[in-house]
Amino acid sequence: MSKKKSSTPMRTSSKPLKVRIYTHRWFYVMALPVLVMVCLFSYLPMLGVRFAFYDYKPIGTPKFVGFKHFNDLFAKPAFWSAFWNTLQLSVTKLLLTTLLAVVVSLLLNEMRNIYAKKTFQTIIYLPHFLSWVVAASVFSLILSPSDSGLVNAFLKQIGVVKPGSEIYFLASKQWWRPVYYIIDVWKDTGWGTILYLATLAGISPDLYEAAEMDGANRWQQLIYITLPALYNTILTVLILNLAKVLNLFEPIFVLYNEAVYDVADVIQTYIYRQTFGVGVPNYGYTTAVGLFRSLVACVLVLFCNYASNKVRGRGIV
Amino acid sequence: MGRKKKFTVGDAVIYIVFVLVALFIIVPIYKVLVDSLDLKSGYGMRLWPEQFSFLGYKIILTTKSLYKPFLVSVYVTVVGTLLGLTLVTLGAYVLIQWEMPGRNFFSYFLLFTMIFDGGMIPTYLVMRQLKLINTLWAVILPGSMSVYNLVLMRNFFEGIPGSLLEAAQIDGCSPMGIFVKVVLPLSKAALASIGLMFGVSFWNTYTNFKLYISNRDLYNFQMKLRDMIQGSDMVQTSESIATNTLNNAAVIVAILPFMIIYPFCQNYFVQGVNVGAVKE
Repeated sequence: MSKKKSSTPMRTSSKPLKVRIYTHRWFYVMALPVLVMVCLFSYLPMLGVRFAFYDYKPIGTPKFVGFKHFNDLFAKPAFWSAFWNTLQLSVTKLLLTTLLAVVVSLLLNEMRNIYAKKTFQTIIYLPHFLSWVVAASVFSLILSPSDSGLVNAFLKQIGVVKPGSEIYFLASKQWWRPVYYIIDVWKDTGWGTILYLATLAGISPDLYEAAEMDGANRWQQLIYITLPALYNTILTVLILNLAKVLNLFEPIFVLYNEAVYDVADVIQTYIYRQTFGVGVPNYGYTTAVGLFRSLVACVLVLFCNYASNKVRGRGIV
Repeated sequence: MGRKKKFTVGDAVIYIVFVLVALFIIVPIYKVLVDSLDLKSGYGMRLWPEQFSFLGYKIILTTKSLYKPFLVSVYVTVVGTLLGLTLVTLGAYVLIQWEMPGRNFFSYFLLFTMIFDGGMIPTYLVMRQLKLINTLWAVILPGSMSVYNLVLMRNFFEGIPGSLLEAAQIDGCSPMGIFVKVVLPLSKAALASIGLMFGVSFWNTYTNFKLYISNRDLYNFQMKLRDMIQGSDMVQTSESIATNTLNNAAVIVAILPFMIIYPFCQNYFVQGVNVGAVKE
């Protein structure tokens, strides 16, 4: 392939379309694997959402039923319970981990011993990389009501819990949510600090120096310099994560059990059980639940994209 | 810089808070580690093994139903990461060809999948149609096509000076040649960063296994660990060992590979996050 020397990068764009396609022919070949994969695993399933309007059982052919499944699911308390649980669990988690991540970042920023800071960062990032299966395993082991569980042993030691009345943390409607939030905080607060720390590192030291000259103490520096600088990053993080709140599945799936469905069941786990936990599943019904979820999620993403454009001048997708 | 160097009460408070936070993170993992080395069950508040032994680990290393899932995890992680890196680098390289007709279509075609998805059940039905159920490809293929990582890679690639690519082109280098000889060597940090992200996510894969794989011979270590903790899978072994000790050891084995590389690779992970969120 011979190419004319182009003195300006813009030159090629003035070439006719056919020539541009020809000169880029190898790039189309390179795009092919990605296109095939996206078609197979993203677009084919999208075509499958039509089954939301069918009765579709493992045996027999799909039968068109219109909006029947949607009428069914909107009438089911179990569905609405799962829907509100999803929102409540994800949004609470988001606010909690964001708030704590900001606090930890601010404290880290005040830390002047660079080695202590690095060591601490290494420790707090760690749980983010452990799988949810591992996190659930670790916590179900230390929260165990048997005489092997650390937490119940500790509570007995300090006299809060009497022997024989150990707390079944993960099987109690009262305890499940607090425990879930604690595990979320344990797992993702540290990782959440990265963006805030990057923002904080970008604040000019001159600002603090000038403030100090003017007699501002550490607290006033925090209020008038540091927090305003973080404002945009916090908003960005909230927007990015708000778009994903309906995806919640694995963390719940590995932590919940029959005893706590009321407080723990989310849309995705509801779909899973209605499909794989019943004798003869109706794929049509669970597809309808999923389609409803996808549509709401889609609206959320578009809203967040709009909000992101307003706040920081660029979208999230 | 100009700020007081004196160790104040405020500093002391900060250190105390950090020690407490660090303990909150470390103690659960430390406790599992200690209990995995303790043959005497009923660990309670013990912070050191009473009957120290590596038996739990020895059993995992020598029992086929336990080390095979580990090998499946290794296989899926290696193959998936390589495939994933191939796909996202190729896709990202196409996305920086600003003058390529159809580039924008390609871009929107990919980004749309981040806005709308078919959902769990239609995806499952497609997997069944493609005859991928109960094959490891059902886990590897969808996991390797990560649009998020592709966009991240594109952000990295955009940092490569356009003049370099142009110079290579003028010297008669083909698109594939430029990709292999210029773009990839300049992106070692990005490859490490995104490769590690792929690696961790494949190692930790659970949901896709749960959905698409019911054949126990194909379980990865996460699946096996989950079954052990739930008590639905009693491990057959000739040695006598408390189930709890074995479970604790299995948790440690599940995180060990990561713990070994983590101290050396931490910066690559952090870099990935910052490029993803901060760069245009």
